[in-house]
Amino acid sequence: MEYVSPEGLRLDGRRPMEMRQLRAELGAVSRADGSAVFEMGNTKVIAAVYGPREVQNRSQQINDKALIRCEYTMANFSTGDRLRRPKGDRRSTEISLVIRQTMEACIMTHLMPRSQIDIFVQVLQADGGTRSACINAATLALADAGIPMCDLVTSCSAGYLNSTPLLDLNYVEDSAGGPDVTVGILPKLDKVTLLQMDAKLPMDIFENVMQLATEGCKAVANYIREVLLENTKQLENRRGV
Amino acid sequence: MKEEEEIEIEMVTPGEVLGKGSEVKAGKGAYLSPDNNTVFASLTGRRSLVHPSPHSPDQRPTVEVIGHKAHGPVPEPGCVVIARVTKVMARMASADIMCVGSKSVREKFSGVIRQQDVRATEIDKVDMHSSFRPGDIVKASVVQCNNANPRHVTRLYLLISLGDARAYYLSTAQNELGVVSAESMAGGTMVPVSWTEMQCPLTGQIEQRKVAKVGA
Repeated sequence: MEYVSPEGLRLDGRRPMEMRQLRAELGAVSRADGSAVFEMGNTKVIAAVYGPREVQNRSQQINDKALIRCEYTMANFSTGDRLRRPKGDRRSTEISLVIRQTMEACIMTHLMPRSQIDIFVQVLQADGGTRSACINAATLALADAGIPMCDLVTSCSAGYLNSTPLLDLNYVEDSAGGPDVTVGILPKLDKVTLLQMDAKLPMDIFENVMQLATEGCKAVANYIREVLLENTKQLENRRGV
Repeated sequence: MKEEEEIEIEMVTPGEVLGKGSEVKAGKGAYLSPDNNTVFASLTGRRSLVHPSPHSPDQRPTVEVIGHKAHGPVPEPGCVVIARVTKVMARMASADIMCVGSKSVREKFSGVIRQQDVRATEIDKVDMHSSFRPGDIVKASVVQCNNANPRHVTRLYLLISLGDARAYYLSTAQNELGVVSAESMAGGTMVPVSWTEMQCPLTGQIEQRKVAKVGA
């Protein structure tokens, strides 16, 4: 199957180095301390953050840091076939763990000892790159909740099909069986917090693909910063500052 | 100077550089990164510069980020909290922590006032029912070391914080700490009479409490 046409266009008309359209909205869940909806093309994800609050399970309490809990779920209607058991399966548990470890690296947990921060992420529409969209949504939700972070965490995926590195794979490209590299970085501090890949890649091609994904992350970071600044300005206008 | 004023109106997001560690100090919403001695922002908001007082030895200004939404406060050891007593038992009283300092919490934290922490003198002769009643609002301070399991105390010489504490331990063992507001059995808000008594304005009845000293 041809994923990149001879003219250099992908199945959805994008160029190999082009990302899908990004859209973000803050404060979607008013009951939560912070929340965000993040869209990457057709992939739509909602994140809600509760905390810092008292640890509910006393045995897990950490005396000098905050406890971060993360739950990733996919809505029944998120994929083409209606999911029968979307919660608790191995993939959800793995992605929950991955998101938790990624966010734990950037939240300044030592400022909120003996407390708990819950991050709930749910995929409303899945079209490839759900892991990355979830991390981006979680970052926005944490920033909306006013939880101190050392930097924003942004994530993007890249793959390699038809001998071309492709940025931001959608579902069809992801299921093609080629490698899928997901990178999560702290853009200003220039540090990597997440690096996952399935399938195999020769080392030199891997470096290209990872570099491409990192640039995608930086583009997402610029967009997220714009959204946060715009949101803050709007809030200040409403308060009359 | 003009450049500084321009920077002062700037809005920042987490991870943005606010200054060098040698020129500014990190205040609220900012942190100092040890590797490259730079101060970064940790919240989204307005950057502001607080000038140091002329008497302080460190003449660096403090840079802060004022976010629009602050996360709920968390009780820290040594801070003063306002709590409402929920249960009074023979050797301890349970209380729900509602405010930390002057800020109210988003969701309540559980606190416990042990018999030995009620007052500073004659701590083994304290009667919990003559110190607190359910519904009282008390001002207390969070105890520094939380050691839930007495077994461990006999084996260790140093009191260290163990991970199995069930609640924040609160202490009212100071003059300014204790019951600040209480309702009498008749339903009226009582007036403090001494450090152990409060009187109901409706019936004149005197009830026993560990009263906080309010005022100068």
